[in-house]
Amino acid sequence: MIKVDNIKKSFGKNEVLKGISVDIQPKEVVVVIGPSGSGKSTFLRCINLLETIDEGHVFIEGVDITDKKTNINSIRTDVGMVFQQFNLFPHKTVMENIMLSPLIVKKVSNEKAYNKGMELLKKVGLAEKADAYPDSLSGGQKQRVAIARALAMEPRIMLFDEPTSALDPEMVGEVLEVMKQLAREGMTMVVVTHEMGFAREVGDRVLFMDGGYIVEENRPKELFENPQHDRTKAFLSKVL
Amino acid sequence: MDFRLDIIIDYLPYFGKGALLTIGLSIAGILLGTILGLFIGIGKMIRNKWIALPFMFYVTFFRGTPLLVQIFLVHFGVVPLFLGGTNGIVAGVIALTLNASAYIAEIFRAGIQSLDRGQMEAARSLGMTHAQAMRYVIIPQAFKRMIPPLGNEFVILIKDSSLLSVVATPELMHWGRMMTGQYARVWEPYLTAAFIYLILTLTLTILLNYLEKRLKTE
Repeated sequence: MIKVDNIKKSFGKNEVLKGISVDIQPKEVVVVIGPSGSGKSTFLRCINLLETIDEGHVFIEGVDITDKKTNINSIRTDVGMVFQQFNLFPHKTVMENIMLSPLIVKKVSNEKAYNKGMELLKKVGLAEKADAYPDSLSGGQKQRVAIARALAMEPRIMLFDEPTSALDPEMVGEVLEVMKQLAREGMTMVVVTHEMGFAREVGDRVLFMDGGYIVEENRPKELFENPQHDRTKAFLSKVL
Repeated sequence: MDFRLDIIIDYLPYFGKGALLTIGLSIAGILLGTILGLFIGIGKMIRNKWIALPFMFYVTFFRGTPLLVQIFLVHFGVVPLFLGGTNGIVAGVIALTLNASAYIAEIFRAGIQSLDRGQMEAARSLGMTHAQAMRYVIIPQAFKRMIPPLGNEFVILIKDSSLLSVVATPELMHWGRMMTGQYARVWEPYLTAAFIYLILTLTLTILLNYLEKRLKTE
């Protein structure tokens, strides 16, 4: 479903991705862990081309998104993204945040967009906040709205960029719960996170990144209980 | 010192005419300057340096030279070139528009660049084109942040329009100078002009504060 083929990416002289390749299957939940600066967020942002790719290819359902002829906007409607800092639109209500893109990009009717929005808000447990502005919500509520907003485009893949890192500890659970439910429903997900519990419980596969490479990948149980590389061991000993 | 109210009252129709022209010039300058300013601000933000360069020159020139010099250039140079003769009102509108647009371009650019880049990224990640993201997400937010500095610029524009009196555009300050010439008096004409300018700028300030408050509550 996603095929990442030897991508490289530099910021100035600093090469952050030094050749990343990975195949992600439909309905798979891939969790990316690693120390800060390891390139995991950059890797994730290359999958929907929020970062340009210097070398290599990314195929989404067979389409090479690094090809200049590919319409990246239509690819992005299939690939939802959730950000660490939520990035809700502060000048719009919760419902307007959710309806905006379906209305202007997919050109669905107002009624249809509203019904879909309501359905998603119920799903994330925030139906009563439809008319609230983002500023009045807690961090956990904001992130759940952001997830609903991404889902409103009916994506087939969801990318999560440290979705719980900006949250107070007591709000992490409510966001992870929504993500777990999505995983159970069969959403293809790539999740960059520091939540090892989530990785172990929900992940089908864990990638450990360090220094711009995927150092090790395995099923969560094996990777956490029996890491092969010294760097993986060193990292896990610090976070577990 | 005696203060002669009677000559002010005699001259009031002229001040009225002048004030109307000052208001007209200011409104024209604000509207045209804002439209041109948005255009130049966008031009300046284009990533291609060669396309952005002329816009940067424009802003540098009009912010870096005195408005009075620009008025002379437009009044005695540009306008005769196109109209075959001078015209104080046309020159006034052009000079004020060109000058204000340079400042407004910078206000616009600052408003957009002050937004977190996550806003653009979120919009793009939802499949919006750059233009859609600008229109529905970035510009509405930037606009709110632009109101206080824009208001400031508009107030400056009203006051600066008085410089047009040196090329005999019959605006408010022009009539102040005429009255000084006619009665050989200083206080009455200039204080009257100052008082009317104050009414104009205060009215605008109140209107802008009201607008700012209304946009905040939504």
